[in-house]
Amino acid sequence: MNVRLESIGLTTVVIPEGRLDFGAAAGFQVQVETVLAGAGTAPAGVIIDCAGLDYVSSAGLRVFLLAARASQRAGLAFAVCGLKPAVREVFDVSGFSRIIAVFADRAAALARAPQGSA
Amino acid sequence: MKRQMSVPSDAAQLSILTQFLQEFWTAADLPPAETVSFELALEEIFMNVVMHGSPAGRVPRVEVSLALCDGCLTLMIEDDGPSFDPLSLAAPDVTASLEERHVGGLGVYLVRQMMDAVSYQRLGARNQLSMTKRVREPTP
Repeated sequence: MNVRLESIGLTTVVIPEGRLDFGAAAGFQVQVETVLAGAGTAPAGVIIDCAGLDYVSSAGLRVFLLAARASQRAGLAFAVCGLKPAVREVFDVSGFSRIIAVFADRAAALARAPQGSA
Repeated sequence: MKRQMSVPSDAAQLSILTQFLQEFWTAADLPPAETVSFELALEEIFMNVVMHGSPAGRVPRVEVSLALCDGCLTLMIEDDGPSFDPLSLAAPDVTASLEERHVGGLGVYLVRQMMDAVSYQRLGARNQLSMTKRVREPTP
């Protein structure tokens, strides 16, 4: 799995591409933790844009859960967006779409994200 | 149509098993939208055996088979590790809040929800988990 980062104002966008399975989860977790540690404090935010993510398992869901929880504790806005049907199904069945903010695409997620320049 | 393969209970084998599933999918010309349920079932159950069903000093063999019959696909995962029924795991509370949510048991829960039927048997010295889902309308 490949991961790219983009900064838009106060928001860091994490863009995982490929398959977030057991083999990829540990590395992704380290990358997300690094982003969260460097994201600053409120009103900053982190968006995980999943438009390029083809698959997620429970090992991958765990990274989203830990990231959402760490963000909440740090006062950071956290959202995911662009879920493909295969990923959306896993988020829905697991109940994660009820505890993590999910937006249709990045524009919708950014519209709800904190504004301002970094 | 039926295919099977056998691998050691080792996390490094997951990508090989996934490729085996994807090749079956292509060969059987199955709808791409249905593949996620089976990729997930394969990963969750195989990784359960790797992480929880492999005693120190011994690497169980895991046999994976796929059988397509009348539009229903059955994924069977067998291992010769210690007796363990993953279906006996308590279901996670999927309505818990973000702070209270746990990931333990989530993999098996996802498999149960996304398959039409799941069953476990202890057959001699082997665990056998069978997972079935309709992936294509039956031929008239």
